[in-house]
Amino acid sequence: MGKYINMLYAICLCVWLSGCWSANELSSITIATALGIDKSEKGFTLTLQVLNPNEIAGKEGLSSRTAISNYTESGATFFEAVRKLTKVTPRKVFLSHLMLVAYGESVAEEGISSSLDFLIRDHELRTDFVMAIVKDNTAGELISVLTPLEKISASKIYDSIESAQDYWAPTKKVQVDELVNSLTAEGKEAVLTGIYIVGNSEEGQKLQSVEQTKPLANIYINGIGVFNGDQLVGWLNEEESKGFNYITNNVKNTVGWVSIGNGKVSVEVKKNDTKIIMNQKNDAKTFDVVLKTVVNIGEVETDFMIMDQSDVQKIEEKVAEKIERICQASITKAKEYESDIFGFGEVMRKTSPEEWGKVKDNWSKQFVFAEINVKAEVQIDKSGMITSPFYKKIKEKNSEE
Amino acid sequence: MNKSKWNEKNKKKNKLTSRALYNEQLIKELLGNSTELVSKQVNLEEEESVTVVFLYMNGLVSQKLVQEIILEILLIDIGEAVPILSNKTKSKEDLYHELSIIANELTEVETIIDSLINGKTVLFIDGKIAAFSIDTKGSNTDRGVEQNTTQQVVRGPKDSFTESILINVALIRKRIKDPSLWTEQMVIGTKTQTQVMIAYIHDVVNEDLIKEVRSRLKKIKVDAILESGNIEEFIQDQTYTPFPTVYNSERPDAIAAGILEGRIAIFIDGTPFVLLVPVLLINFLQTPEDYYQRSDIATLLRCLRMLAVVLSLLTPSIYIALTVFHQEMIPTRLLISLAAQREGVPFPALVEALIMEVTFELLREAGIRLPATVGSAISIVGALVLGQAAVDAGIVSAMMVIVVSITAISSFVFPSYNFAISLRMLRFGFMILAATFGFFGIFTGLLLLVMHLSSLRSFGVPYLSPFAPYNSSDQEDAIFRVPIWLRDNRPKLINQKNIRRERSWKVNHKK
Repeated sequence: MGKYINMLYAICLCVWLSGCWSANELSSITIATALGIDKSEKGFTLTLQVLNPNEIAGKEGLSSRTAISNYTESGATFFEAVRKLTKVTPRKVFLSHLMLVAYGESVAEEGISSSLDFLIRDHELRTDFVMAIVKDNTAGELISVLTPLEKISASKIYDSIESAQDYWAPTKKVQVDELVNSLTAEGKEAVLTGIYIVGNSEEGQKLQSVEQTKPLANIYINGIGVFNGDQLVGWLNEEESKGFNYITNNVKNTVGWVSIGNGKVSVEVKKNDTKIIMNQKNDAKTFDVVLKTVVNIGEVETDFMIMDQSDVQKIEEKVAEKIERICQASITKAKEYESDIFGFGEVMRKTSPEEWGKVKDNWSKQFVFAEINVKAEVQIDKSGMITSPFYKKIKEKNSEE
Repeated sequence: MNKSKWNEKNKKKNKLTSRALYNEQLIKELLGNSTELVSKQVNLEEEESVTVVFLYMNGLVSQKLVQEIILEILLIDIGEAVPILSNKTKSKEDLYHELSIIANELTEVETIIDSLINGKTVLFIDGKIAAFSIDTKGSNTDRGVEQNTTQQVVRGPKDSFTESILINVALIRKRIKDPSLWTEQMVIGTKTQTQVMIAYIHDVVNEDLIKEVRSRLKKIKVDAILESGNIEEFIQDQTYTPFPTVYNSERPDAIAAGILEGRIAIFIDGTPFVLLVPVLLINFLQTPEDYYQRSDIATLLRCLRMLAVVLSLLTPSIYIALTVFHQEMIPTRLLISLAAQREGVPFPALVEALIMEVTFELLREAGIRLPATVGSAISIVGALVLGQAAVDAGIVSAMMVIVVSITAISSFVFPSYNFAISLRMLRFGFMILAATFGFFGIFTGLLLLVMHLSSLRSFGVPYLSPFAPYNSSDQEDAIFRVPIWLRDNRPKLINQKNIRRERSWKVNHKK
């Protein structure tokens, strides 16, 4: 018995020794949801968006305070700036629930690698936040904009990026681990989502902005920032971004249209599968991008009969042509920036390592001269609830009158 | 005082004589002239001064039986087909003859007193240095077989044991009509002289187990056994454990099922709770109804009870660990909502949880003790203390009320009250561990708990079997309850002999 009692004593003593190590009551932490990184003379200026939980989930009548508040601090290093934030925040900053890390365009142009180390190294951070670049404005301005519907703007941006990627494909959700992978990978360059503010960013920070049906400032997600090394070198527009997603096999669902006769037919891409194959003929190296796409007819504004095989084939060819054009546009833009964001170099490294060894040192120059063929195969799967469009009948009726 | 010492002290001076009246006085003195000791004197007519004295304890005997016996023994029977009693007493010889058939002759004073206490009627006759005892036991203190109150079922027999050991054994015999159902009797408690019976099926039970139970019961040296709990504490394998290693039930069908599996039932006079040994941890999560409902229902309900074990043990501690140490594990939106609730609460999560848990335990205890007539008062007050009022007062957060409620509901799921108490006790330990070390503490605690559980034995059978040690054939009635016609074997670790039940193929309905 004595042995057990001694053991019990020892255990009890441990309880006091620990001093509740690393315990934080919920009421002593403040949840950070977004981090904006901008340039300053010393180094970094960080803007931290923290939550005011009572304004979001409190059941008492909401006051006129905002649900989020921002704190700004500068420091020579990233970590220093983060820690200096505690001077202005009332409680310990809790970074695990960070949803967004936004770079100002000027920081991104200078290089982002110096700030990435902390984001990966710190134990408190989960790696599931999205990263983005703010076009035209500073990151601080972006995360200060209030958004309607969603009180936490970081959460709005996170959800927008995710749904835009899944249903429209003009952008790409990039998380920190993926960014670091593509920054360090051989034969592949990094990309980041673009965000911009439409409207008056000053007015958008005020509560009045979201008190009306049309907010004074809105946050848009569009385009993809192209990196060369860790520096932002340029942007892909919406169509080129879509092409990028086609080539990197990142299209889950999107909508496009083609002209048929004197009208348009819209199709919804339901499934897309892309393969990049490297061919070697003597010394010339060519890349084939092969897309297999399944689409549904979404909208018909012309006299097109789904029952007619030749019409179906015509649409399939037109859509394939359009996809090829989009992809080529995207490739042309990337070549302009001398940045192989698609990972053709990686394909080469995998298929023929010896060849890669020869070119890897100046691949970005070589990439510009690489011959890349895009071949799309489109198959129409479903045509929706109507087989023969009533468009033609209405037209006929109009002409009769 | 020890019984043997009492005997020796009284043996010398307390000797029976041939005078009935003297003997009567002796017994009365030894019983401290207790008022319920009734004595009746009768003089036999034929011979002068032959006195017969009847003694019995009022309340322990059936008055009707005593009267019948007194009359029948003393008076001459003059009827032919039907006994009709005359108004004359029998002769001394006839009386002796009659008594030699229906009564026991006792010469020791202490055995006479024993039989008085056990509801027998004792006769002293002049000229005989002995007493005759006739069984007139029949007490109006027994209640009938009533519906059981502690382990209720929706489907299944509703009867329950009573305070009378004979009725209890009879309830088992009614269910198992097999000559190999054997019982053994012993008396435990020097003062209470409590009758204890063990019952088992001779050709199923493990011989060593009977020996072990017998020897443990014989070793009990105590003055009073008032309830089966007293016996349980003496015979359990390990005292320093929060877990029960002896099963108790009020339900005859549960005890009968246990006996049929090769366990031993221990009946104790004066309590409706019958003990069953050996018992495994998993038995506390099974109800008799599992065998009366379809097997799939029973299996699902058992899984539900397993879940209830986890919830009842860990809900508050997981809440504390998550909100104090591991906020990154909570989904963001839930965290925001929790943070908003905790905003106005002045206490740390542990104190908050302790306040609510202790309040709930108090309420629960009060609910048991309160007379039924004022019982509704406690539910009204309870709803206030453990409800919205506590939240509105800013003492606890709304989430804590939900946590306590989940804990409370799941602790009421268990069919065994004593198992639920074990978890209640451990819950507080886990809360402190969680508040000190977070999940690390909880898992260390769980590890220690599993180590402790696997060290437990119930009459030599590992407490965690059939999981540790693993026994594949016993899995058919552990968490799963396979259909009865598939259940061929009795639990292996409990009885090593005659493991196979009768092969009972499912009735073929197609024929």
